[in-house]
Formats: sequence, structure tokens, C-alpha cells
Amino acid sequence: MTGRVIVITSGKGGVGKTTTSANIGTALAKEGYKVVLIDTDLGLRNLDLLLGLENRIVYTIVDVIEERCKLKQALVKDKKNPNLSLLAAAQTRDKSAVNAEQLKDICDKLKEKNDFVLIDCPAGIEQGFQNAVAGASEAIVVTTPEMSAIRDADRIIGLLEAKEEIKSYKLLLNRVRPSLIKSNDMMSVDDVVEILSCPLIGIIPEDTGIITSTNKGEPIVNDENSMAGKAYRNVAQRILGEEVPFLDLDEPKGFMAKIKNVFAKLKAKV
Amino acid sequence: MGLFSDIYNTVARFFRPQDEQEEGASKAVAANRLKLVLMQDRTNLTPKILEQMRGELIDLLSKYLEMDKELLELNFEQEGDQVALMLSIPVIRAKDEDEIEEAIKASREENSEEIGEEENSEEAEDAEDAEETKENNEDKEQEETVMESSADSESDSESKQEPEAETPAKPKRKNSKKVTKPEGMDEAENNKPVSAQEPEETNVN
Repeated sequence: MTGRVIVITSGKGGVGKTTTSANIGTALAKEGYKVVLIDTDLGLRNLDLLLGLENRIVYTIVDVIEERCKLKQALVKDKKNPNLSLLAAAQTRDKSAVNAEQLKDICDKLKEKNDFVLIDCPAGIEQGFQNAVAGASEAIVVTTPEMSAIRDADRIIGLLEAKEEIKSYKLLLNRVRPSLIKSNDMMSVDDVVEILSCPLIGIIPEDTGIITSTNKGEPIVNDENSMAGKAYRNVAQRILGEEVPFLDLDEPKGFMAKIKNVFAKLKAKV
Repeated sequence: MGLFSDIYNTVARFFRPQDEQEEGASKAVAANRLKLVLMQDRTNLTPKILEQMRGELIDLLSKYLEMDKELLELNFEQEGDQVALMLSIPVIRAKDEDEIEEAIKASREENSEEIGEEENSEEAEDAEDAEETKENNEDKEQEETVMESSADSESDSESKQEPEAETPAKPKRKNSKKVTKPEGMDEAENNKPVSAQEPEETNVN
């Protein structure tokens, strides 16, 4: 078996790389595929928190590289889904503890036994990024409809284009707020895609459920009622080659629809 | 149907007491998880080492007290620039003098036996350690070494000394020890300490 190695990157921090990694990983594992998530943000690890695995980590990627444990030993299995496992970053080291060659080696080993290896990339374009990208052949660029995030995404796309190993890269537009787009206060999906001229793999609406799901350490794809969860499940389907139409994020029109919508929101809060 | 239950829930929510609302709220979960993680980050103590420390404290204290070991809670709290170790144990009763003496005697015997056995293994361990330090010469961080050697060594008293010796407290944060009595029965339930088997279980696979 040769699995696919996908890096999830953005340039800018705080746009949702880690949330995206956790959710796509969980969604693919729910579909029955074997998935390994690698946190490459050495010194600032957080993927463990989003998956609720923070207390189970004994060995990290640095332990694997410095041969204090076997690769298999460092893989922490998910609580619910045995198809999903995490290779955590070391919290006490910095990016220089690892080099691109070593990470590529780990990816190559992992893809032999897994369908998907997803790499959560640190923010920035320095060594951390170079390391994370080294073993990947596909990339998902996460951005939000904000100027700074788009500018950084453009920079990242430029860097990815220059890499021979990266065969394809797609854009994931996160934290979209339809009401703001409607009032022309936020760039629309079309605007962003046109500016970056990069194929789209998903549109994720802003969702307060993300906060509660992070609090609990449970990815939002497990919540059947959440819009963001559904959007992430759709992204997973598209990764698997299905053609899934993008969610219609427009709020329903008409009087009755509005009332229903209000109650739906209340329900989501309760 | 759904509509009416929504209305009911919304109305009922207004009349519910405040703490009942907060109990299951995710923010409490988040705060507890975060405290634990930050404590681990600040002290460089891994869940495994914490669990070991917890076990040894139980051994020590159970010489003098009969307590509910399941509910023992170990926490670090930050006050200003000081970190305090908070230990909360539901005490069932204090042991009487005879029992205490007996327990101390028993543990002494155990220790002397172990020391006898150990002299050989300690040497071997030392040699192993020396090798490791050679390999990881540039490695400032010794936490992982601690973990490995303690995992390798079978003997308790060997591993007992290591966490103290090899993970020096940061100069800024002095460690003081406080022991608080029962108070936190329910707290302990909400905030159960890391369980012993979990990390190993997950990593063997």
C-alpha cells in the first residue's frame, strides 16, 4: 500500500490549519481509511489538544528521529477511531531539532502502512514549513477571506509551485461568514479563488461549534448537526475523489424559513 | 414537535440555576484540560512521570493514613511566579501508632531487600546511562532519557531518584509542597487525574 501524503499549510497563523488537519483526518478515518496525523509544529504543538489526546503522549516525533523509540511506539491511537493515530510534536524543542530529510523519511515509512498521512504544518515559511512540506506530494492551503491571510496564502502557493515533489495543491477557505459577504463587507469565495487562482477543495463556514468542540477535544466532524462539520466531511469526500457540490451557505429566505433558522441557532446554543 | 421542544428548552434555560448551566459547559472542560497541559509544559513533567510520582506519594502516605486512593488528586497551581503542588486526598481515617509502626517496618524491610538486589543492577544501569549521555551529548533536554531509563528499569527505588535528579526545577519557579485534606471529593471526580495505563496502552499498538 502506498498512501497519500498531504500537507496542510497556510503561511499565516490562526487561520485553522490544526482544526482542518484534525477534522479532515477524523473524517477520512470515519470513512474507514487508515490515517496518521503528524504535528510538525515543534515547540508549539496543539493538534493533540484538538483531538483530546494530550494526556496519552509518551513519545514524540523527536524521540523517533533521535531513535529513543520506534515509530510505531510513538503513534497515539485516537480514543474513538482506531483508524486514526497521531504522531505528536515535541513541546520542549524547536524547529531545528528536525530536518527535512528526516521528516521525509518518516512520511515514507508511514505511507507504506496507511492510506493517508496528513501533516499539520507550522505557520511561517521558514524551516518548519520546509520540513513539513518535504515528504508531501499534495498540499491543502488554508486561508480565510481576510487580506493578510490571502496575501500569505499567495506566498505559500508560490513556494509550493516551485517544489517539484508537490504534485497538486488546493485551497480551503475557512471561517466564511455569509452574512458579511452578503452585505459586501467580506470578500466572497469567488473573489478569493480569482485572486489566488487556485482550485478550491472546501468552504468552511464560521461556526461557534468549533469553539465548543475544541474545548472538549472532539473534532466537529463528529457533530452531525454542525455546518462546519458537514463542510469538513465534504472536503474529505472530495479528497477521496467524489464530486460533492459546495454547501449553500446562504441563510434561508422567507418568513417561515427565518423563524426556523432562529430556532436552529438557539438549539445550537443550548 | 422539534419547534416546541426548542421553545421549551429555551424557556427552561432561563429558569435553571446558573451553576447547573455551567456544569456540563465545555468551557469548564477546556479550563481543566488546559490547566493540566500547561502544568505539564511548564514543569516538563510527562503524564508518565506524574503518574509515577502519584504512585509513590500514595505509597508514602498510606503508611500513615487510610485514604481513598482512587480520588487522590495531584495538581500544580500557579500563584504569581511560584508553582505550588496541590495534593488533595480524601482521608478515610488516620492509622493508629501500631499500624504506622508496622507499615514503616514493612517498608524498611522491602527497601533493604531491594538495596541488596539492586547493587548489581544499579551498576548496569549506570553504564547504560553513561552510554546514553554520550549519544545525546548536545541534548539539553533530559526528560526523554528519564522516561526511557525508568521504563527499562524494573526496580522502583532506581526510578524514584531520577525525576528529581534529572528534571531540575526552573529557577524562576520554586516548588513548594502543600497538602490539603479531603475538601475536594467532587472536584476530584470532575478532574480525574491521568490514569496509569492509558499512555502505555495507546503506545504499545
